[in-house]
Amino acid sequence: MVVRSTPAPVTGRSRVASTPLLEVEQVAFAYPGGAPVLDGISVAVPEGSITGVVGPSGCGKSTLLALLAGLVQPGAGHIRWSPDTVQPPRHPLTMMFQKDTLLPWLNVESNIGLHFRVAKSPLGAAAQQSRVAELIRLAGLDGAEHKFPYQLSGGMRRRTAFLASVAPHPRTLLLDEPFSALDEPTRIGIHQDIFNIVKREGITVLLITHDLGEAISLSDQVLVLTTQPASVFKRFDIPFGAERNFLELRENPQFLALYGQVWEQLAVQIRRSRAKGGERGDG
Amino acid sequence: MADAASAAARTGGGARPSLLQRVLARGPIWLTQLALLAAFLLAWQYLPQVSVLKAMGHLFDPYFVSSPVRIARELYNLATGSENSPVIWGYVWATVYASLLGTLIGMVLGAAAGLVLSNFRFLSEVMRPFIIGMNAVPRIALVPIIVIVFGPTATSCVIISVLVVFFVAFFNAYEGGTSVREELVQNARLLGASNWRILTAIRLPFVLAWTLTSLPLSVTFAVITVVTAEILTGVPGMGSLLGTAAVTGNSALTFAVVITLAVVGIAITLAADALRARVLHWWGR
Repeated sequence: MVVRSTPAPVTGRSRVASTPLLEVEQVAFAYPGGAPVLDGISVAVPEGSITGVVGPSGCGKSTLLALLAGLVQPGAGHIRWSPDTVQPPRHPLTMMFQKDTLLPWLNVESNIGLHFRVAKSPLGAAAQQSRVAELIRLAGLDGAEHKFPYQLSGGMRRRTAFLASVAPHPRTLLLDEPFSALDEPTRIGIHQDIFNIVKREGITVLLITHDLGEAISLSDQVLVLTTQPASVFKRFDIPFGAERNFLELRENPQFLALYGQVWEQLAVQIRRSRAKGGERGDG
Repeated sequence: MADAASAAARTGGGARPSLLQRVLARGPIWLTQLALLAAFLLAWQYLPQVSVLKAMGHLFDPYFVSSPVRIARELYNLATGSENSPVIWGYVWATVYASLLGTLIGMVLGAAAGLVLSNFRFLSEVMRPFIIGMNAVPRIALVPIIVIVFGPTATSCVIISVLVVFFVAFFNAYEGGTSVREELVQNARLLGASNWRILTAIRLPFVLAWTLTSLPLSVTFAVITVVTAEILTGVPGMGSLLGTAAVTGNSALTFAVVITLAVVGIAITLAADALRARVLHWWGR
């Protein structure tokens, strides 16, 4: 097994006191010639945590991820990444896109190992193979190794895409509405697997989603963004820890109460967005 | 897991119908097709023997339209070389060889050009009017120039078919290269791929796949072009046989060559289709 030691946030200092992995400070962004999309957004993301980001449709959630991925540059403010404490430094960042990114001519195994095909890896061929095999086992894709994307169900495609972004041992993983196209039972099954894998590997995750239940059940903190131009409206700590049962969680009174509280804040922003004639679709 | 189980059910599929079931289902259609073909051949053979029709002109004169029996004899002679007939196989091979070579070279060049232009936006903008202009030129009109340069040789035939196939392949390759979605490129980049690896590992397979989908069309175009070039240059091949038939007024030979070309064309297209389906099996349905 090729699991790297995870930087445990529990050693000595408390998590709150330690330097966050990512600090977004007063970041603003506008597409050339367009209205401002982000306006003074500030986020602190502790190492090894999962941060869920929700907000009205078109508020600029996906733009935030594009900024973090370095696909676009901020107009103002700072995005600070703390140096990696793990040696050798991990792969800095990967992203799981909302749209399908599987290569249709590669089977499940090869799609998961795409990183090893296109980039230099410190792992040898055997270690790469066992890494892929291990991930396949963890995500319950056993038996599908040699199937091609067109032979997969929607859920299996998403699992494969997720594993492809996890294979390089990334330090940070961005999830851009990754499961919006799946039905609820399939989605909750995937939540369980990806949560376990992410926590086990100590990957820091930013999750953009429309699905408030998804955000709360998966995250350690949830941010509610304002309507566009977006800034952080409210922040909620989610106290469910690193061991979660996603089926039970949905019936947990504490989950339901949190859902109500966060929803109340989200609804404020949705109403504002409506009043502005929002709902321009996806941001 | 729910999604794994449903996928297993999907790939399991239903039982294929047996041969007997298929014959029973398709039988009436096949019989009708056979009857139509027989009626056509009988009319071709016997209508010109009706004297009233014979007087009506060339359409019912066996000298011009030949007859199934004559054509069958001609085909037999061509295949065996009996009755001082030329043996057709050398001619078939010359045409097929030139067509396949032209297809291969044209597709490789077209794919390479499509890959490069689809990857470099600036270059593609610069080249666009030239490519559209070149594609608008009827390639057959270039035959005299190419024959002056390369002589009336098989090389000339290959070059002309390359000129035709290149554009078919190029437009497909270009389309394939530009159809690569932005998130595939971004995903590969975040996974650590360099520009070069994005070109070779992401864009190139799309370009090759799209180029390959044009294979049946390309090879058909190549055969047509090579035959036309052979008619115009007299280079030995099916086209030159057609030329001979026209000069000697041998309508049976003309029809025999045309039928052979049709059979060769169908065989090549089927082979091209099978190759494409095999290589691109992952394209799904």
